[in-house]
Amino acid sequence: MTKREFFADLRARLSGLSEADVRKSLDFYEEMIADRMEEGMGEEEAVAAIGTPAEIAERILSEMPLTAGTVKKSTRCEGGLRSPWVILLLVLGSPVWLSLLIAVFAVILSLCAVGLAVFASLWAVFGSFVACAVGGVLGGAYFIGIGSGLPGVAMIGAALLCAGLAILSFCGALVATKGVLWLVGQIGLGLTGCFAKKEVEG
Amino acid sequence: MDIQMKRGLLDVCVLGAIKDKDSYGYQIIKDMKPFFEISESTLYPILRRLEAAELLSVRSAEYNGRLRKYYRITPRGLARIEEFRREWEEILSIYRFVTREREKDDQT
Repeated sequence: MTKREFFADLRARLSGLSEADVRKSLDFYEEMIADRMEEGMGEEEAVAAIGTPAEIAERILSEMPLTAGTVKKSTRCEGGLRSPWVILLLVLGSPVWLSLLIAVFAVILSLCAVGLAVFASLWAVFGSFVACAVGGVLGGAYFIGIGSGLPGVAMIGAALLCAGLAILSFCGALVATKGVLWLVGQIGLGLTGCFAKKEVEG
Repeated sequence: MDIQMKRGLLDVCVLGAIKDKDSYGYQIIKDMKPFFEISESTLYPILRRLEAAELLSVRSAEYNGRLRKYYRITPRGLARIEEFRREWEEILSIYRFVTREREKDDQT
């Protein structure tokens, strides 16, 4: 193999590297061949002595760290989201992704509504127990006032029971409210996380 | 020899070849020959690695109407050799311990 053939072959095998790296590698082997020829070797003998282009290229490529700059840009996806094809696809696909997006938002909204309804009804239970307690006490007092002591006392007893239940339901409603607020916060965080990530990628 | 050990030794051997005076690729290969028979394709990645680690620096100088690359050891390269020397003194003391003559058991 002549020097010319050797370098043409080696250059072809290193085509994945940047021009500067290829140049550096070729210079190194060119110097090696020249040094051997100066010692009295013939061209083909000197070329043969340093190894075949295949093994040299394999060695160089395996030792080369694949960091930015060593690999040519063409291997990367160029343009990103700004490429006209991507925009065209986005426009043509809008009937599909737009309706899906609306559906997703509708589901999220309805889940929020369900959560709100649950939590409103819990507070309504609490409110009715409070109303029962207040009404019962007032009613009982009225009955005692007009002279019928027994139903009055029974009514006040029922009112006290309602007051106890009101306290219990208050605790329940408070816990549920805290839970719902936490859940809403988590969903909000998750959604903003999604969008923030997309912005970074874009 | 263990491949990992050989790799480390090759690096430091190349540094040894340029320790006293600047040298070039083919000369390094010839100087290392008694210890390691390495080919150009082995030497090249080592030189690049050492250059990237700033253990040696490269300059081009004209020789016989063409450019030749000369490699010079840096202070970091010299420090690496010193580190190598200390490591091997430690290894040598372990070697002497491991391979010492067995003491004859007293069989009285």
